Amino acid sequence: MALISRGFSLINRIQLPAVTQVREYAARKGTRDKRAKSKVKVEVEKVGFIPHNQRNREKFLLSRPKRKFDDSWKQLPIDNVYPQRYYQWRVYPFQEAILCHRETHHPEVYNKPNSNVHITIELNMEGEKKTRFVDNFTRIAPMPNGFDHGEQRSIIAFTKNEEYQEQAKALGATIVGGLDLIREVQNGSVDLQEFQFILAEPQILAELVVLRGVMRRKFPNVKLGTLDMDIPAMVKKFMNGVNYTGIKDEFEKDFGIIETVIGTLDMNEKHLEENFASLVEDVMKAKPKRPGQFIRRCLVTSPPSREKFKVDHNLYLQQEHSETKSKTEEVEAVAAAN
Amino acid sequence: MWKTLGKAVAPILRESLILTPENVLQQQLRTTYILKRRNSPFLNKNGSLPKRLKAKHYIYDLVEDTNVNREPDMNVILTTYVAGLGDVGDKVAVRPNYAYNKLLMTGQAVYASPENVEKFKDYQSNIEEKTYSSATSQRAVDCLSRVTLSIIMNKETPWVLKPWHVKASFRKCGYWVPEETIVLPTNPITGPNLELENKEFFVTITVNNMEKVNVRCKIHHWTTEVVDRLPHEKDFWKKKLDPVFSEDAAILAELTPNKGLNADQ
Repeated sequence: MALISRGFSLINRIQLPAVTQVREYAARKGTRDKRAKSKVKVEVEKVGFIPHNQRNREKFLLSRPKRKFDDSWKQLPIDNVYPQRYYQWRVYPFQEAILCHRETHHPEVYNKPNSNVHITIELNMEGEKKTRFVDNFTRIAPMPNGFDHGEQRSIIAFTKNEEYQEQAKALGATIVGGLDLIREVQNGSVDLQEFQFILAEPQILAELVVLRGVMRRKFPNVKLGTLDMDIPAMVKKFMNGVNYTGIKDEFEKDFGIIETVIGTLDMNEKHLEENFASLVEDVMKAKPKRPGQFIRRCLVTSPPSREKFKVDHNLYLQQEHSETKSKTEEVEAVAAAN
Repeated sequence: MWKTLGKAVAPILRESLILTPENVLQQQLRTTYILKRRNSPFLNKNGSLPKRLKAKHYIYDLVEDTNVNREPDMNVILTTYVAGLGDVGDKVAVRPNYAYNKLLMTGQAVYASPENVEKFKDYQSNIEEKTYSSATSQRAVDCLSRVTLSIIMNKETPWVLKPWHVKASFRKCGYWVPEETIVLPTNPITGPNLELENKEFFVTITVNNMEKVNVRCKIHHWTTEVVDRLPHEKDFWKKKLDPVFSEDAAILAELTPNKGLNADQ
């Protein structure tokens, strides 16, 4: 204190250095950055009113119960009579599951013997990397034993073979044709947008490339199942097959679900089993190239009953991957030859 | 003064007559923390002196605190029948605390050490007539004795009650009861009969061909058309009902849901 007062009294006579230290060079980079950052104006976003049940959405979603089902920690039953809640879910043979549903839908009970048989397939939607997930996919699974799915499907088929054209037309394709049909499309007399599915054989692919821009995503390719040598089988598949979508949960991204109808309860159990097998085979075609399971669990349900029967899908997996590989090679070889 | 006090108390402390913290805590502290060095130390050449570690090498991150880990289950061999675990001679894995306090201390089990495994290899129950068929059969019996089974039958189609109807009804409410284990009342129950809506009967279930349990049942009539359906009955199992067959009245009165029910409930 005494020093400062003395300094002030001497200021007229002696030039004393200022109390603050002033540097002639730039400050350290970290200091400069900090200073610049504090000067930047942070614009506060005006958030409008959020209703009480939409606030803290992330917090709410974290506490949501997981949709993935796991009962591996439970024991297997040892008695012939037991309460099911203490044990793992019973795995039914497919035909037994159908018979159990028939028991509840019997005329003496619910009296609905022709209700639909629904299949729910739970999937593991993890992709090649753990953080990347499989996209939602829509496919058609061929049904060897047809049933009325109630959908109207418009199909256009391109094939040079006259016999195939006749057969396709008989099976229910809307329009079938060869090079002349391609010309008609180019003229504008046939509008491709009207058709859900565009089927073709590899031999006509070279000429079909002209229309690629018009077709875009619907252009026949092996992955979609629309490019094949056997046109009548393809038409049959797309007319009678079951259209299903694999949808992943928007929050729990590695959980996906497929819900479809594969027949009615009054159909033969063996036919229903064949339908189920072909559905499983088709689902496995959408599997990503990584180790581990894709299908977690398969359930058979039949409304109005609320019972769900777990079915083992592994019994119906038999070398699908080798099948599809050989098929793509076959088709590519034919396309290259033409 | 303190010097003489210390001299007087010292022999007593030495003899451990007074429990001091030092005397009591003679146990080994078995706490293990798994740490990871944040900065890896130098590599050393063969044959040369190891390089000195610096302060930065003594900074660790906690990887695992073994105190908070769950202890692995302990294997014990049962010497008596324990409900929910097993029969005499069974080797089971249970939580260590439970194994010690409830099984080992009570003499119901022994440690599954290699010597014990060899010693108790052929240990079997001496009881000739067992009252239990398996470790979990009693639980199944207890659960079933509390059930009031709702059997849905059609309101229009004529029917006669069969074991598969009862089996399907059990399956719907979460019990696996095969047809062979179900014994229906001796007189057949036919329908549709709306008088059955306020009446009860019982079926007998046999668990593992041994334990028998009576299960109280009630028939509900159902129809496909929503318009024709009977009004919903709330808490139907709480109501006291008349028996379908009068000779069963005594047994039905004993079934657990009926105990403590008043006529007006």
